[in-house]
Amino acid sequence: MVKNKIAQMKIQQMAFMLIAVMIFFALVGLLILTIGFSGLKEKATNLQEENAMLLVSKLANSPEFSCGQAFESKENCIDLDKTFVLKKNIDKYKNFWGVSGIEIIKIYPENKNLVCTNANYPDCDTLELIPKATGISAENFVSLCRKEYNSETSIVYDKCELGKILVKYEKIQ
Amino acid sequence: MKNKKGQMNISFGWLFAIIVGAVIIFLAILGATKVIKIGQQEGQAVGAKELGILLNPLEIGFGSAISTPLPLRVETRIFNKCSVSGNFGKQGIQTSEFSFNKWTIPGVESSFENKYIFSKSPVQGKKFYIFSKPFEFPFKVSDLIYLTSENEKYCFDNAPENIAEEISQLNQANLAANCSNADDKTINVCFNKNCDINVNYASKYVQKGEDKFYFEEDSLMYAAIFSDKEIYECQVERLMKRTKQLAELYEEKELLVSQKNCAGELAVDLDLLISSLENAKNYKVINSVSDLVEDIQNKNKYMECALW
Repeated sequence: MVKNKIAQMKIQQMAFMLIAVMIFFALVGLLILTIGFSGLKEKATNLQEENAMLLVSKLANSPEFSCGQAFESKENCIDLDKTFVLKKNIDKYKNFWGVSGIEIIKIYPENKNLVCTNANYPDCDTLELIPKATGISAENFVSLCRKEYNSETSIVYDKCELGKILVKYEKIQ
Repeated sequence: MKNKKGQMNISFGWLFAIIVGAVIIFLAILGATKVIKIGQQEGQAVGAKELGILLNPLEIGFGSAISTPLPLRVETRIFNKCSVSGNFGKQGIQTSEFSFNKWTIPGVESSFENKYIFSKSPVQGKKFYIFSKPFEFPFKVSDLIYLTSENEKYCFDNAPENIAEEISQLNQANLAANCSNADDKTINVCFNKNCDINVNYASKYVQKGEDKFYFEEDSLMYAAIFSDKEIYECQVERLMKRTKQLAELYEEKELLVSQKNCAGELAVDLDLLISSLENAKNYKVINSVSDLVEDIQNKNKYMECALW
């Protein structure tokens, strides 16, 4: 009877031990997965950053933005008239560049922080192509060119100003 | 009798421990295998995404053809996926690595709307070559990316002077501007006789066996030479979708610029191009609109306010 009880005790001890071992392995597994996934999030953010950095340096030369032969300036030149039209059709381009925001800001000759709309274009400073209030941004200097009409001389001329293009991406939480 | 009971108790304890122990070991092995597989898939997904991101400078480059080598750690298969759904279609990239003497299951697909990669699918090797060239139809639509492996060697026999010169200037190890030193494994691309790949430069098509690939512009000729038929047709259809969207932008831009006393004359032609592309049944629309495209190109060149 006593031996039987001791044996039962031993089985119970072993069962508890095995449960403890299982819990231990489960915790170790969870720890590994957590570390793995935190690394994955960091990798994903790094990839987004890399994408934004490489994209911003070349985006001005993409056909939807570039001046092409329409203006004298060629490399890193944004055709503002074309880009303003692009803003009206931006719904089609939402996932096209794989970033969460794109903005074009005029920095010289003057900036009154006016956001471009149909009513005030071209007398405005910020063209929010893909608006995004938050997020980390990468930026690059560009020339912003458009056609202007001089009513006194009746001449259409190229007007180019200094600006920057911002590409925004989000940190993955 | 007591002895038997004791033996029963001990053997039950052992039996219990063995069963539960086996379950723990089984679960541990299963977990470890899953973690390794997830790790491999993660690595491949990151690799595919990185590859796509690295192509950014090539996709929106400036000027003529540029070549870049892409050495990888291990023998890799790159799966080129293409879909025409949506406004621009999608370019997908999947990779699979040769590890522990077998090919791993391809990782998660990375997709991009702004890239056009022309290659075989899969393309396999440890070192790849990428070169890109702009496609203008009639305005610049995109830079096309050609992906080849070091294992595929091409030589261009009797190519027109501009093509031969371009190939020489690329200085890409697996491309030769003539076939005089070509070995048996080299794929011969001929311009006026029958060989592995025949290019009819005047009639604008590339013939590979029974398959004919129609092209416009040299950039699409290279695309036809280096890619599979399905990939070529799909990517050209995607390019036509982007051409249509850009034509719509230029049409609206003309309207905007005309308000600044700079009237254009392309609206009707651009409208015709848009409707032709909209109603296109397949990629061969590039041939049927080529005259219109040339016309638009010439008109834009001589306009007071050129649109592009």
